[in-house]
Amino acid sequence: MFRRFARHIKEGFLGVFRHLGMALSSASAVMITLILIGLFLLVTLNLYDMTKSIESSINISALVEIGRENDHEAIEKEILAIDGVKSVDYRSRDEEFDYYLETQGSDELRDFYNTYRDDNPFRANILVEVEDGDQMATIRDEIATIDGIDEVADGGANTYTLLEILDSVRLFGGILVAALCLLATYLVYNTIKITIASRADEIWIMRNVGAKNGYVRAPFLVEGIIIGFLGALIPMILAIGAYIYVYNFMGGSLFGAFYLIEPLPFVLYISGALGLIGVVVGFIGSYISVCKYLRLKR
Amino acid sequence: MISIKDVSKTYKNGTHALYNINLDIQDKEFVYIVGSTGSGKSTLIKILNGEEIPTSGSAIVNGTDVGKLRFSKVPLYRRGIGVVFQDYRLLPKRTVFENVAYALEVVDKKKDEIRTRVREVLKLVDLEDKSTAFPDELSGGQQQRVAIARAIANKPKILIADEPTGNLDPRKSDEIITLLEKINKEEETTILIVTHDTQIVRHHPKRMIMIESGHIVADLNKGAKF
Repeated sequence: MFRRFARHIKEGFLGVFRHLGMALSSASAVMITLILIGLFLLVTLNLYDMTKSIESSINISALVEIGRENDHEAIEKEILAIDGVKSVDYRSRDEEFDYYLETQGSDELRDFYNTYRDDNPFRANILVEVEDGDQMATIRDEIATIDGIDEVADGGANTYTLLEILDSVRLFGGILVAALCLLATYLVYNTIKITIASRADEIWIMRNVGAKNGYVRAPFLVEGIIIGFLGALIPMILAIGAYIYVYNFMGGSLFGAFYLIEPLPFVLYISGALGLIGVVVGFIGSYISVCKYLRLKR
Repeated sequence: MISIKDVSKTYKNGTHALYNINLDIQDKEFVYIVGSTGSGKSTLIKILNGEEIPTSGSAIVNGTDVGKLRFSKVPLYRRGIGVVFQDYRLLPKRTVFENVAYALEVVDKKKDEIRTRVREVLKLVDLEDKSTAFPDELSGGQQQRVAIARAIANKPKILIADEPTGNLDPRKSDEIITLLEKINKEEETTILIVTHDTQIVRHHPKRMIMIESGHIVADLNKGAKF
């Protein structure tokens, strides 16, 4: 068993060396694809992080009817019972008034508004944090139906539009990564196809003396994995180096508004993922190729 | 050992290669299959080797019905059949010893077993002194001997030789047929030689089956005139 395994590994490496030019050209093509995959992964995951951070910063404001402030605990319970609500935070009318004053730019204005404290126009506010931004609209509508709630406000249409745009970009990035993985698989598939054609005699001999299909297949699979891994090496290093450079260059944030994901251990995961993608596409590409050949020729 | 009943073969492109072939070949027999190009003899060989399955009829080889042979079972089936071709098909970057050993390695034989068997077959084909040579250092006749040694390394019950003398001069051809006779006798292997070279049949008379246009037109016993 071990002897056979070692033999397949050895044959796989020998296969790469015997067809070094072909293997390197395929590995280069895989490399370019993996660089693009790495780039899209870095961008997409940062966008994902950004979206999550925006979502988590948006709260729903449930304004309590004036005169129903004493019922706030019961209302809070009702809100907490809604599926997807993470937490609630009650702010009394006075606290709301204070909060408004704090947001005013000058002491003069603050003093002026403070004269209205006895006729406080603000309503008590229950700030609702949701688990997932996608549920925001549904939760908002449900809260609006609760007795004692006067009005419900959230980030508004602009926030939803921004989230939708980020979602679309994320989805597009995901599709692109998947498409590039398919492309890399196809590149390995073609290389192994040519390798098989150049070794048709050897395969013929193996099959004619009764080698099992798995035995014929194994060295090609090892070869595909090696090509995939070779193709992944530079993208793996590049992902680490380039991301750390860009992160430092931009000061860890995008235009000072959004924080980029910290390089460590993030880039190590991305680098590992690229290596894994390389190995997997190498394996799948060669598997399809060799299986197709073996099926064609009984 | 080989029992072919009403076997017909039509390829996907509509070519009819064999029509209702009936044939029985016993253990340890030595048989020539003779026919012109396109007569259907290669299709017959492919059926016996499990490369093709009959369109109708049954082909029982070593107790296995080729028509019902599952794809995954083909490798095991082939271990009972050795095949030799006109163009030798040796691995150019491997020595004579390695070429023969290769047939045993791929079926997971142990190293000691491989060494012993390779020496045995190289002695049988009279190439003991060439074990470290590469194929391009050998003559055509010697290369065919290596191919034969490789084909019998796994001790198949049947050895099929498709035009084994096609690339050889008459003297070398004669030597190859003599070698196959020796294998038939010493290894007790059933030998099927596909050829269109009637000279070798005359010099080494054995049972001869003639195929033309997909039909068996004659099945002559040893020594019969044709």
